[in-house]
Amino acid sequence: MVVEGSIILLGGFFAMLFLGMPLGVALGIAGMAVIALAKLGIMAFPTNVWTGIAKYPLLALPVFIVAGMMFEKSGVAERLVRFAEACIGNRRGGLAIVAVIVCMILGGISGSGPADAAAVAAVLAPAMLKQGYPRPYIASLTAAAGSTAILIPPSIAFIVYSVLVPGVSLNALFLGGLVPGVLAGLSLLAPAIWLAKRGGFGAPSPDDVRPPLWRTFKEAIWGLLAPIVILGGMRSGVFTPTEAAVVAVFYGLFVGLVIYRTLDARKIYEVLAQSAEISAVVMIIIALASVFAHAGSTVGSFDAAAKFLIGFTANETVMLLAITVILLIAGMLIDGVSIFLVFLPILLPIAKTYGWDLTWFGIIMTMNIAIGQFTPPMAVNLMVTCKVSGCTMESTVPWVLWFVMSMLAALLLVTFVPEIALFLPRRLGDL
Amino acid sequence: MTDHADIQAPGLKLGERPPAVPESLERMAGAAIMALLCLITFANVVVRYFTNISFAFTEEFSVALMVVGALVGTGAAFATDRHIRLTFLVERLPVAKQRLLEMAVLACCLGLFALLTWLAALYVWDEYRFEVMSPGLGIPQWRYTVALPVCSLLICLRILGRMVRVWRTVSA
Repeated sequence: MVVEGSIILLGGFFAMLFLGMPLGVALGIAGMAVIALAKLGIMAFPTNVWTGIAKYPLLALPVFIVAGMMFEKSGVAERLVRFAEACIGNRRGGLAIVAVIVCMILGGISGSGPADAAAVAAVLAPAMLKQGYPRPYIASLTAAAGSTAILIPPSIAFIVYSVLVPGVSLNALFLGGLVPGVLAGLSLLAPAIWLAKRGGFGAPSPDDVRPPLWRTFKEAIWGLLAPIVILGGMRSGVFTPTEAAVVAVFYGLFVGLVIYRTLDARKIYEVLAQSAEISAVVMIIIALASVFAHAGSTVGSFDAAAKFLIGFTANETVMLLAITVILLIAGMLIDGVSIFLVFLPILLPIAKTYGWDLTWFGIIMTMNIAIGQFTPPMAVNLMVTCKVSGCTMESTVPWVLWFVMSMLAALLLVTFVPEIALFLPRRLGDL
Repeated sequence: MTDHADIQAPGLKLGERPPAVPESLERMAGAAIMALLCLITFANVVVRYFTNISFAFTEEFSVALMVVGALVGTGAAFATDRHIRLTFLVERLPVAKQRLLEMAVLACCLGLFALLTWLAALYVWDEYRFEVMSPGLGIPQWRYTVALPVCSLLICLRILGRMVRVWRTVSA
């Protein structure tokens, strides 16, 4: 039954996926087919759907989505951009540096890559076009920089990982993701500046005035404080992740209503309604994936698949590289959270075989997914930034590959030097 | 560039009409649930911070609310084709074929959620019969889980509605 079950489960799932079945439904049908054929007890279906998402830690997911959206709608991105411009000054490639830095700060407020990338691209694209940056370059850079949002805390991907992997603390993941996330962002600077120099664009015109530092700082400080409120609150043990998220929601509401005066009832409604929809789309996948996971682990498919993979190589390094390649390819095809749901059941037994630290493993998996988010042809971030900057995804290929390669270098660094990710949570006692 | 649902999943362009029952109903419900979730959680933080009282036991209520929100939003996402799916290959087919394939895909979705509706109803019936109590507030558990078959039925209706609309483009 192990072999037939595994073929139906994994083969059926991928076949349905490529035919355009909604991801959650494909997981649910594959899972139910195995449950029915192996006579595992059909009541596992409603039970797993309910218990798969009726979990308190998962509450952090919708609330962090609301928080990110609240800040975005309050116009924090524009103010951060102006402040970053004032800091960086007028130099060749200056706006590219600004784009990367603002994406990273926004990543510290919201936990979703596409939203982050879209916000920065929308604010910066007009100014960058004026300085001669090619459209595909803008789309590539902001998509790549936006992908750091799922590494820099808070992160939707980490919330899902910590719910799926018992024993891994969300605090440790959040802290551990910070340094690799910043590293991933900084790795983009070298190719960004080099491409601007090589192409002879991105030079400021002489009549560009540098925005005044102090005034832009006073406007941006409210946004700059948000990541500190979120991480600080969780760090000090005052808040659980869900509570930190809700504090961020009300902080964002306060900033948007009182300080920036950019939010009104209409916009707040939009924030809530859109967050509800995004959360729903993600959570139904989690619910149906737990049916898939139940079927796979009961029949023994996941252990079999893990053994099959380990059978290829006993070498730990080769296995790590193989996982990296698999995840990169998967990341090009489906979105990040779904990758966890599909691949974690198979990869966890492998990680346990080698005795890998599961916090670190979650971080490198997420870093892989981040790269997948802007690697054509199915890159969610790139799709969004191409729309904003008005170019096709095909046209970005010669540009975006440089960013893919440099972030890949950062990923390999964290893969082979786990302490880059782990020293911070270890120092602060979360590990 | 504010429409996030578009960012998440652009959907197929099959040329079907928008749903007759507007999905703004679910949007309103979803927004209300989100607001309620944020308020309950925030109230809990504030009350615990300033007093020693904790009403963390209400978390089972928040969790159930979140599940209802997820199910309600799922229905709306079926109506407007915003579920996360791989359309890269399907988009390369001629539109007529895409429509037929979409009918098959939707039929599978309907089958799955119809099964969920039926089994979830049995599940709730069991909880009712055996008088299962909730761990936090000690109220009958079925009062929460009854949301599963009810919302699942609504999802079925949303899928059926989209099937009808896609079918009209096929026969037209």
